[in-house]
Amino acid sequence: MDLRQRLATVAVHRTSALVVEVPGWARTRWAVEREVRRRGWRLAVSPADADLLVTCGRPGPRLADALDLVWAQLPGPRARLDVPTSTAVADALNEAAAQLRDDERQRRDAADRPVEPAMGTPAEDDSTAEDDGDAQEDDDHGDMDMGGDHGDMDMDMEPGGIPLASGGGGDRDGLDLDVLHVPLGPVLPCWPPGLLLHCTLHGDVVAEARFEVLGAAAGSPPPRRTYRTPADRLDRAAQLLTLAGWDDAATQAARLRDDLLDAADPAFCVPVLDRLTRRVRRSRSLRWSLRGLGDGPGGDVWDRLLELLEEARAGLAGQQPAGSPTPVDVVPDLVAGLEFSAVRLVVASLDLDPTAQHHPHAVST
Amino acid sequence: MSELASSPTSTAGIDVVQTSAAWAPLAAVLLLATASAAASLDGGLAARAEGRSLRSGMSAPWAETARLFRQRRRTTLAADVLLWRVGGASLLVLALLKVAVVPFGRWTLGDLSVGVVWFNAMDVAVWAAVWLAGWGPNSASSLVGGYRFLALALAYELPLMFALTAPAVGAGSLRVGDVVAAQHDLWFVVWMPVAFGVFCAGVVGFSVWGPLSSPLGPDLGGGVLAELSGIDRWLVLAGRWALLTAGSAFGVTLFWGGGAGPALPPELWLLLKTGLLLAALVLVQRRLPTLRPPRVVRAAWLVVLPLVLLQLLVVSVVVVGRG
Repeated sequence: MDLRQRLATVAVHRTSALVVEVPGWARTRWAVEREVRRRGWRLAVSPADADLLVTCGRPGPRLADALDLVWAQLPGPRARLDVPTSTAVADALNEAAAQLRDDERQRRDAADRPVEPAMGTPAEDDSTAEDDGDAQEDDDHGDMDMGGDHGDMDMDMEPGGIPLASGGGGDRDGLDLDVLHVPLGPVLPCWPPGLLLHCTLHGDVVAEARFEVLGAAAGSPPPRRTYRTPADRLDRAAQLLTLAGWDDAATQAARLRDDLLDAADPAFCVPVLDRLTRRVRRSRSLRWSLRGLGDGPGGDVWDRLLELLEEARAGLAGQQPAGSPTPVDVVPDLVAGLEFSAVRLVVASLDLDPTAQHHPHAVST
Repeated sequence: MSELASSPTSTAGIDVVQTSAAWAPLAAVLLLATASAAASLDGGLAARAEGRSLRSGMSAPWAETARLFRQRRRTTLAADVLLWRVGGASLLVLALLKVAVVPFGRWTLGDLSVGVVWFNAMDVAVWAAVWLAGWGPNSASSLVGGYRFLALALAYELPLMFALTAPAVGAGSLRVGDVVAAQHDLWFVVWMPVAFGVFCAGVVGFSVWGPLSSPLGPDLGGGVLAELSGIDRWLVLAGRWALLTAGSAFGVTLFWGGGAGPALPPELWLLLKTGLLLAALVLVQRRLPTLRPPRVVRAAWLVVLPLVLLQLLVVSVVVVGRG
């Protein structure tokens, strides 16, 4: 039908893409994000918000399972792309747009899908390699979010087959039905790639957490390391600013990052970066909101944001980057006791690099 | 005071006439048209920030609408579908109920003797709407978003109530038409600047906007929006724009003299002023980051509430002094 086709054509102008980075493929993600912005598309913040799932790099089996679960949560019309390298990104997105525009194809896809959401596996698991249930992100179906302890399952008591949230030891307000197990990552925008944090929530406060890193497929060619390049610093600053809800400044940082992708002239980039730094430094409300969060030896989130920008500046001036990433195993201790938004900001501000993690099943509580 | 409250509104030379409810669809169209203009402005500014032309972004809300009208609705496991949908759809309805008491030139849909209270009641109803939209999908991130809204509502609602009281005390009436009429000589914004500022913050709050938009924050994957797709998502997003528009229209009515102005007809003045305030609120979103709820609650109770009470005291003293 003509009207439907026209609606599809207009709709594709605002395609919303959920871009997932396999640990190590940051450069590819940047290329995709730049192309998304150039077209006037936008980046999705959750599977329900996305038309397009883009995987940058070659995921390992568990990450691939997580991606399949997320794919099942896209409402549709939907399209899926695997982008293994940062070349030919534009062609891949053209192809995706064509798929989204193809009404017949989308109808067939919709007809093949079950109407009711499927029951997932509980979020909390014993972290065996073939168990894909934990590979979920925070904003998925309720089936995951409500996934409770194995220990006190009682099928007769479970509405809709969902184990009840259960009271646990030391719930801070003593309410017995208050403990939820919610995974953060591995498919989560503005989150370290591949990081999966099993959180035990009391309300919106993380009581304790355990982490894993879901890596790339074995034998895939190691991509060029981006850690601590100016573009990497700006990417982290952009993510932090996005989480802080300041889209304008975040966009400014991301655009600068994308310019660096083409090896832009530092003489052009430095003034832009200085403007951004001044703008961030001057924002009293940002400072007021971030000050005192995640206080540690490296300062709080506010300090680390400014540090990221300064390191980007130093990198542009030709200084060699120094320093090593924060080990991922400090995360559980740092986030325990923090409220949800604080957890996201603190994790984004830490200088984590999951590609440097050699023990994918390291467990800590 | 009681004598004033019962008198018809005529001090400004304009009688506010209650029209038939059949005009409600027209009011709804006008509300949505203004809201979509604001959304276009926002889209344009966002596009410019991304390095594209202002024009290319102006059509973004329409493309987004097409996208959402084409998208499938979504359910989650063991969702409370009824309450979820009711919560999401009521934002738009509440916005329309708010503008029902705003005089559009000579006409108003509901010339209530307690118009100001009506507006306040509608914005308290937003609490239920947003919280239900967060509760419905049986998802932790949505629910956290819903509770964040309640926390913010506890921060902005009381100051907002007192900010609404100031013009009512100044005019000696709760009828919106009387408040407009009482500004015949001097707009209330001139001697109630604090109340006006707090009112605007309240509008930002109940529209889940800009600095107070953490219930829809990207850190929660969209919070209350996290599980919504298709028409359900559109209703919430459009409802938000409509609330922002309704709040602006009410703000200019209470503080900027409503339709008062030279040369142009009052209807046009009201639209112009509403557009101006709305554009300012859109800019706020671009300029300011989102504030974290714990900080907002502290500031609201320790700083804003005392300030707005002081404003109310000043207004009351002036009114008593005038006799």
